[in-house]
Amino acid sequence: MLVSEEALLERIRSGRLIEGPEYATEKYLEGLKRTLVVSADTELISAPAYFRAAQDAPNINAYISAMGIIQDELGHAHIAYRLLRDLGVDTDALVFERDPKAFKHPYAFDVPLESWVELVVANAFYDRAGFVLLGDVYRSTSYGPWKRALVKVDREENFHLRHGERWMEILAQDPEQKKKLQRAVDWMFVLTLEWFGLPDNLKRHTEQITYGLKGKTNDQLRQEWMSTAVPLCERLGLKVPAHYEPDLGQYVIDVPFPAEFDAERKEWLFDKGPISWDRVLERWKGRGPANEELVKAIQRGYEQIRKGLKA
Amino acid sequence: MLNQETVLEALREVLDPEYPVSVVDLGLIRGVEVEGGRVRVRLTFTSLGCPCTEIIREDIVNRLKALEGVDEVVVEEVFEPWSAKDISPRGRLVLLQLGVV
Repeated sequence: MLVSEEALLERIRSGRLIEGPEYATEKYLEGLKRTLVVSADTELISAPAYFRAAQDAPNINAYISAMGIIQDELGHAHIAYRLLRDLGVDTDALVFERDPKAFKHPYAFDVPLESWVELVVANAFYDRAGFVLLGDVYRSTSYGPWKRALVKVDREENFHLRHGERWMEILAQDPEQKKKLQRAVDWMFVLTLEWFGLPDNLKRHTEQITYGLKGKTNDQLRQEWMSTAVPLCERLGLKVPAHYEPDLGQYVIDVPFPAEFDAERKEWLFDKGPISWDRVLERWKGRGPANEELVKAIQRGYEQIRKGLKA
Repeated sequence: MLNQETVLEALREVLDPEYPVSVVDLGLIRGVEVEGGRVRVRLTFTSLGCPCTEIIREDIVNRLKALEGVDEVVVEEVFEPWSAKDISPRGRLVLLQLGVV
């Protein structure tokens, strides 16, 4: 390593960007790689997850829009893996040889999206979470190459959000479709709240924030997501388990959180009351029903070629 | 006063769903006709596989319907060939800053 911890922190404090490993310490690079893997895996896994649901598209234009989004997501994943490769990571092994359970995307993607309705809610909810998280990285990151790459990513996510909102609006006009929409919102809303991770009282971000890998805390980002997701649903007449509390100046979650989730039935077991975050972490680690199918969809071609070459 | 000029002025506020470039600067507008309260817009897209056709069309209709004196908006999709050469210098500058062109 070429720089000391003091020199690195001084550089970050003075607002100068880190342009490569030679300006960083081992600890900084480890943190950066961890953050990049989560981002890359999330973008990557969204492609097969959305592709599966896009088969239910109501018309050819809608299908093309979904394909456009999937293509964008693969591009975003490519950017993040490319940055990892430049940091010396074997990305072929990372993408094609890793055990599905070892992928770092949010648990939400392990619950299969099975219809056009669920896909557009995913665009409105999950892509919004990505937008909030990456927006924070863009504003705060001390890593120059990532900051510059995110300019374009941010713009494309904008279209994904619009696509989701527009279709939610269309579906909300039809009573039958609106019921399906409500059903999707019921399981996906709280799953997206979980996406932002442990609450601030259980997690110290000091290191991530000091290193400029993150700007806001998990709870602040969760609030930011709710500040646009809740009004959207309210405007469409959809019920969500959160509301704005003027006295507190923030959004409040109206159901036990975190709670137990039945992934097979896509239902929250709120009656059982709030559970500990340790239990949530166990569920995340165990991964959900679609985990293997989605990762294998990505790895299949690579495995076939490898087998072919050995034959 | 509703005329070709005021319609184009309004269309300069309709941005591409992804990038902050107007549909005019992007070179998608291939003609504007005004007859009384009826506005006709000829619209092309950057490609046949454009994922945003419906959003762009809706944004154009909504913006023009808000113009004073407009009773009806007809958007005719013409699919005339489009290339990056059709982007205005202003549009090119924005896309350059975003690392797109």
